[in-house]
Amino acid sequence: MRLPFSIPDHDRRLIPDGRLAGIMPWIIAIMLFLTALSAATAVRLGYSVQANSSGLARQATVQLLEPDPAARATDQKRIAAWLERFPGVSAVRAVPESEARQLLEPWIGSAVEDAGIPVPALIDIAFASPPDNAQLRALRIQLVRQTSNARVDTHSSWIAPLLSFLRTILWIALSVLLLLLVATAATVALSVRAALNTHRSTIEIMHMMGSTDLQVARLFQRRIALDSLFGGGLGLSAAILVLVLVGQRFSALGSGLLAGESFPIIGWLLLALIPLAVTGLAMLMARWTVLSALKRML
Amino acid sequence: MQSVAEFDNVGLRYGTDAETLSDISFKLFPGSFYFLTGPSGAGKTSLLKLLYLAHRPSRGAIHMFGQDIVTMPRARLPGFRRRIGVVFQDFRLVPHLSAFDNIALPLRIAGIAERDLLGPVGEMLSWIGLTERADARPATLSGGEQQRVAIARAVIGRPELLVADEPTGNVDPDMAVRLLQLFAALNRLGTTVVVATHDIHLLQEIEGAQMVRLDKGRLSDPTGSLKYPPRPLVLRS
Ligand SMILES: Nc1ncnc2c1ncn2[C@@H]1O[C@H](COP(=O)(O)OP(=O)(O)O)[C@@H](O)[C@H]1O
Ligand SMILES: [Mg+2]
Repeated sequence: MRLPFSIPDHDRRLIPDGRLAGIMPWIIAIMLFLTALSAATAVRLGYSVQANSSGLARQATVQLLEPDPAARATDQKRIAAWLERFPGVSAVRAVPESEARQLLEPWIGSAVEDAGIPVPALIDIAFASPPDNAQLRALRIQLVRQTSNARVDTHSSWIAPLLSFLRTILWIALSVLLLLLVATAATVALSVRAALNTHRSTIEIMHMMGSTDLQVARLFQRRIALDSLFGGGLGLSAAILVLVLVGQRFSALGSGLLAGESFPIIGWLLLALIPLAVTGLAMLMARWTVLSALKRML
Repeated sequence: MQSVAEFDNVGLRYGTDAETLSDISFKLFPGSFYFLTGPSGAGKTSLLKLLYLAHRPSRGAIHMFGQDIVTMPRARLPGFRRRIGVVFQDFRLVPHLSAFDNIALPLRIAGIAERDLLGPVGEMLSWIGLTERADARPATLSGGEQQRVAIARAVIGRPELLVADEPTGNVDPDMAVRLLQLFAALNRLGTTVVVATHDIHLLQEIEGAQMVRLDKGRLSDPTGSLKYPPRPLVLRS
């Protein structure tokens, strides 16, 4: 098959841009801009949901509330060593006291040390896979045998509402994306139909002169492929511009939940696929519309 | 001799109306010139549409170039259409194409390379006296000029059969005669020509032309009232 980019001049003259065909690339550009934005939102949110649930759900923090600083420090070492041997635990990190203070600072101020308020010793642990309730219960029971003043906080308990919020937005983004794809398909179908009506007499004449159905269909296909590639490229470029700008704002925000990781490569590939898919769809529709119109002629 | 077209007891019905054409039987021979006459509404255009493969008959058998085209699969018809040139009553030029592109259309459809069609199309343009108007769109041409472009387009591919529906309908008598001479020239090169007309005077212009008369959808014998009596048309019993 000839590439849609190489339409001979005389074929171009045969199916020139009608008034409707002239608007079509711009409408496709707008539809594609919106589609790409919603797709990017969906990909970004999906990525965050996945990263947060798989990463944070595996993590837990053990707090040692021993008031005596010296005992607390030896406990931290001992418990950390004990945790490393605990089944299912893949990583253990004793959080240095200075770091723990920093974490608490926003809540109780920088005078923590001066006031002599004890800061719990923290041990971050990561499980090989997100722990279930039985595993956590076993950990808690056995931990109490090691030291009476220990508490286990799973991150999933506080991340859960946020994740469900992100998931809700993700579903909304996916629904919007689906609606936009349907609307884009409808736009393409309408413009193909309009182009067919505009050029119906040309098609009839070609048919009577011995054009095969495929010859006529190919002519339309290529014309419409060019239109939608142009519109699609334009819409996608605009969307990418917006995404890059928004991405920069998010990094500036410094929120660990949405920024941090950059937009995944697979997301960019997906975005690039959208105009190609729309072009493919437009070509298929053009082909189908022309062929079924020709089938009604002898 | 193999016939260009052979109709056997052909009937044509549009929808559920009464038959527009009934019991049509004839043979067209290679190199002959036929006039199809009859009053308006007699079914001339309908008969030509069967000839240029725009319709299938409701009944009867039609052979074109020796092949049964009634049962022929649709996909094979384009090849046959390329052997037939058609001058439509309303010209049917592509309005946004120049005279040159309109005339070149059948060659391009047949897949002739661009460099190979410049010569023939140029020759054709000069033959119909429109070399100067090669880039003109149909709307800027006079009725007679459009008609000449339509005829040039019909004959550029050297069709084996040329079908013309009232080709002299909207030109003055002088032009009508000149156009007919164009057909005659093509006929001498071997093309079978069928011209539908209700203008009985035209019939005198082509020596040796045969007449087929349609009346109310049925063929009647040639009248024999021509200045140059036609060779007997082979009417099948
Ligand atoms: N597409 C059509 N649908 C229905 N009736 C038609 C159609 N074309 C022609 N007719 C009818 O068939 C009859 C013959 O028409 P036509 O073949 O155009 O005659 P002519 O060319 O001799 O004037 C007329 O009564 C016309 O109304
Ligand atoms: Mg007629």
